[in-house]
Amino acid sequence: MTPILAHGALGAADEIILIGVAVGFLILMGISFMMNRNKLVEDVDAPAPEETPSDQPDHFRLD
Amino acid sequence: MRLHPKKHPRISRIISGWTKLALIAVLLLVLSAPQTVSAHGYIVRSIPEDRAALERAPARVSYWFSEELEPDFSSITVRDATGEVVATGGVAPESGVLLSARLPSGLPDGAYVVDLRLAFASDGHVIAESRTFFIGEAVGGTAGAVSNWSAEPFEVLWRAALLSSTLLLFGTFTVYTLVLVPAWGSSTYPAGLLPPRVMRRLNLLVIGGLIGAFAASIAALLQQSSVFFGADVGRVLTEGLWNVVRIGTRFGDTWNARLLLLALIAALFGATLYLRREYPNLVYPLWVAGAWGMALVLGAWSVSAHAAGSLTLAWVALLSDWMHGLAAGFWAGGLAALTLVLPSALQPYTGDQRRQVIVAALNRFSPIAAAGLVVVVATGVYNALNWFYQPADVGTGYGGALAIKLLFVVLLIAVGALHRLALAPERYARFVHWTRRVRTFLPSLQLESGLALVVLIAAGWLSATPPPDPNLAGESVPVPRVSAELNGVTLSGEITPGGPGVNSYDVLLTQNGAPVEGVNARIRLADPLRDWRGAWHTLDDVGDGLYAAVGDDLTQAGDWWALIEVDGERAAFSVNVNEAAAVIRQRPPNSFQLLALVGVIGALGFAVYPLARRGYRKLDRSPTSLVIALGATAATVAITVIGLGAALSSQSEYEAVVSPPPAVVNAVLPDQASLERGEVALESRCAGWLGDPAFAALTERLDRTRDEDMYAMTRDGWRTLPPCAVLEDQTRWDVVNYLRSLEE
Repeated sequence: MTPILAHGALGAADEIILIGVAVGFLILMGISFMMNRNKLVEDVDAPAPEETPSDQPDHFRLD
Repeated sequence: MRLHPKKHPRISRIISGWTKLALIAVLLLVLSAPQTVSAHGYIVRSIPEDRAALERAPARVSYWFSEELEPDFSSITVRDATGEVVATGGVAPESGVLLSARLPSGLPDGAYVVDLRLAFASDGHVIAESRTFFIGEAVGGTAGAVSNWSAEPFEVLWRAALLSSTLLLFGTFTVYTLVLVPAWGSSTYPAGLLPPRVMRRLNLLVIGGLIGAFAASIAALLQQSSVFFGADVGRVLTEGLWNVVRIGTRFGDTWNARLLLLALIAALFGATLYLRREYPNLVYPLWVAGAWGMALVLGAWSVSAHAAGSLTLAWVALLSDWMHGLAAGFWAGGLAALTLVLPSALQPYTGDQRRQVIVAALNRFSPIAAAGLVVVVATGVYNALNWFYQPADVGTGYGGALAIKLLFVVLLIAVGALHRLALAPERYARFVHWTRRVRTFLPSLQLESGLALVVLIAAGWLSATPPPDPNLAGESVPVPRVSAELNGVTLSGEITPGGPGVNSYDVLLTQNGAPVEGVNARIRLADPLRDWRGAWHTLDDVGDGLYAAVGDDLTQAGDWWALIEVDGERAAFSVNVNEAAAVIRQRPPNSFQLLALVGVIGALGFAVYPLARRGYRKLDRSPTSLVIALGATAATVAITVIGLGAALSSQSEYEAVVSPPPAVVNAVLPDQASLERGEVALESRCAGWLGDPAFAALTERLDRTRDEDMYAMTRDGWRTLPPCAVLEDQTRWDVVNYLRSLEE
C-alpha cells in the first residue's frame, strides 16, 4: 500500500490507523450530535455544581 | 466627515471590537509562525560526505533524507569548479528518501558542487541546498555547504493565516460548547441557547474563520504550485498547474483532506443558519459536531507537519503535535473567541452585573485554559526535544530562544493562577493581598493577553531559529569498495551506503582505461555465517562502463560475500557491512525525551482529570460490577501479553527452523579459482557423481539446499551418490562452491 496521508513515516499500517482515527472522530461527531439533540434544554438551566462558591456563580443567564 | 467615537457609542463599540480583532489576529498570526519555518527534513546520510576529499570519483553521489521527497519536483545537479554541469539526477525509484546522480567516469581532480533541490512530500516545502566534495587534494577557498533554508514570505503568510483561522474556528466552537452555553445559556433562546446578539457575533467569527481558512488554502495551493513548477501565479492559473499539484502530490493529498473537512464543517454551520428558525434545537448539537470536526482539521495539520517524519517515536511525535495544536486551540483560540464575544454579551449590563457575566464565563473558561496551557507547555517541550540530540544543543541559539520563551510562559502562568485564585476568594483568603489586584478582571485579563502575545512572539522567534543540526550525515563511514582483474578487464565495485538496508550495487568495468560496454554482469550477496544467500541481481548497463543494481539483501552488519560475474567469469570479495553506515530511519528516545514524554502524559492526565472524576462518579461501583470490570480488564491485559509473547516466540522459532545457524561454516571464498578447484575435485574424487540421476536431482534443488547440507553430502553421500574420497576441508568447500555455481 502506497503511503499517502501519513507519508510512510509511521510504519506499515499508518494509513489504516490514520483513516481509523478520522473515522472515529466523525463517528464521535455524530454521537455528540445525537446526544446533544435530545437532552439539551433542561441541562442548560440546571443549578451550578456544588463546589462553586455561592457568591461567584458560574452561570449568569444572559438577557 | 469624520465620526468621533465618543459621540457615537455604537461606532465606538465597533472600533473597539475591530481593534481587539486585529490584536487577536496578530496574536494568532504570531502563534502560527512556529509552523512556518519549523525544522525541515534533513540529510541522514550522504555519499560522499560534505567536503570529503576523495582519491577518485565515486560512481554516483547519493543523499538520503529523513523524509520522503516529491519525485517530480526534486532534483540533483553536480557542477565542476567552472560551473559546468557534469551530472544530473533525481529521486531514486527504489526509495523516496534517496536523491542520487550518476557521475561520469574519469572526472578530473578538482572541486565539485552538488546542488540539491528538495521538495519534501509531507508539506511541499521546497529547499535549495549545496554540498561540495573534492577529487584529489581538497581545494582551499572553495565554498563549503551553502544552504538556502529560508521560508518563502508568501508561504509564511498563508500558513499563518490558515493556522490562525483554524485555531480561531476551533476556539470558537469549543468556547461556545464548553464555556458560553454552560455559563450564559438559557432555554429562552432555543436557537443556540444564547441571545441573538451573542449568536450573531459567534456566527461572524465562524464565517470569518471559514473564509480565512478557505482563502488561505487556495493561496497555499497556488503558492506551492508556483514553487513546485518555478512558475508565476498567472501561469499556475492559466495552465492549470495547481490541479497537477492537487492531484499528483502528497501536499495535494493533505490539502484535499483538509478542504473536505472544512467543507463538511461549513455545511454543518450553514445548516445552523438555514434551520435556526424551523429547527432551533439543532443549532447547539451542530455546533458541538463542528468542534469535533475542527479537532480533526487540526489533526490534518499534524499529519502534514514534520512531526510525523520524526526519527524518534514517529507516532508519539504526531500525537504530541496534535495535542499541542488542540491545546493551543483551547487556550489561544478560546481566549480570542471569548475576548471577541464579551463586548456583545456585556452590552446591556453595567456595574456589578458586568462583573458577574465575566466571572460566570471565566469560571468555566479558566480550568479549560489552564489545562490547555499545561498541555501546550508539556507537548511543546517534547516537540522541541525532537530536535535536540545532545546536551551541547541546549547551548545553541535554539536553546536560548526556548529558555526565553519558557520564562514568559512562567509569568503567564502566574497571572493565570492569580485569576484562578480570584475566582474563589473564600477558598484562597490567604492570598487576598494578591488577588485584590485582579478582582475587576478586565485590566488583568488585558495583562494576560499581553503576556500571551509576548509568549507567542517568543514562540515565533523560537521557530524562526534553526534547530540544531543533528549532523547525522557527518559521520565518515567507509563505503565497501572492491576491485579485481577479470580476463584483462578491470572491475571496480561499490556498495552504497554499505549498511544494513537498501543498497546500490555499482560495478565499473574498464579495459586499458576505456569503458567496457555490452557485457552481461550480475551480483549476489551471501552471508556465510548464516549459510544464507540472496538472489542474483542483473547489473543494468547504464552506460560509460557502469553496471548498476539495487537490493535489500544486506540485512545485518558483519562480513558478507559479494559475488560478481561478468560474462560467466566470477570474482568474489569479502565485504564488511557496517551498522553505522545504515541510513538512519529511527532513533531511540533519549532520557530527556522520555522525561518530557512523562510530562506530556502527566499534563494530559491533568487535563482529563475533571472528566474522569465526573465519569467515575457516574460509575456503578457495586461489588458485582467492580469484579466484572476488574476481571475483564485483567483478562484483556493477560490475553494481550500472552498473545504478544506467543507471536514473538513463534516468529523466532520460525526463523530458527527456516534458517538455523549452520553446524559448519563455509570458509572458502567462492571465487573463480575455488570454482575451478572444486570442478577438478568433483570429477576426480567424487566417483560416479556426474551422470548419476541423483546428481541431476541435486542440481535441480540447489536453490533450497544449504552449503552445510552439500558439505555433508560430499562426506556421507546422498541417495545413490556415494561419499567423495577423503578430501581436505578446503577442497570439500571448493566442491560445494562449484556445486553452488551450477544453480540457476
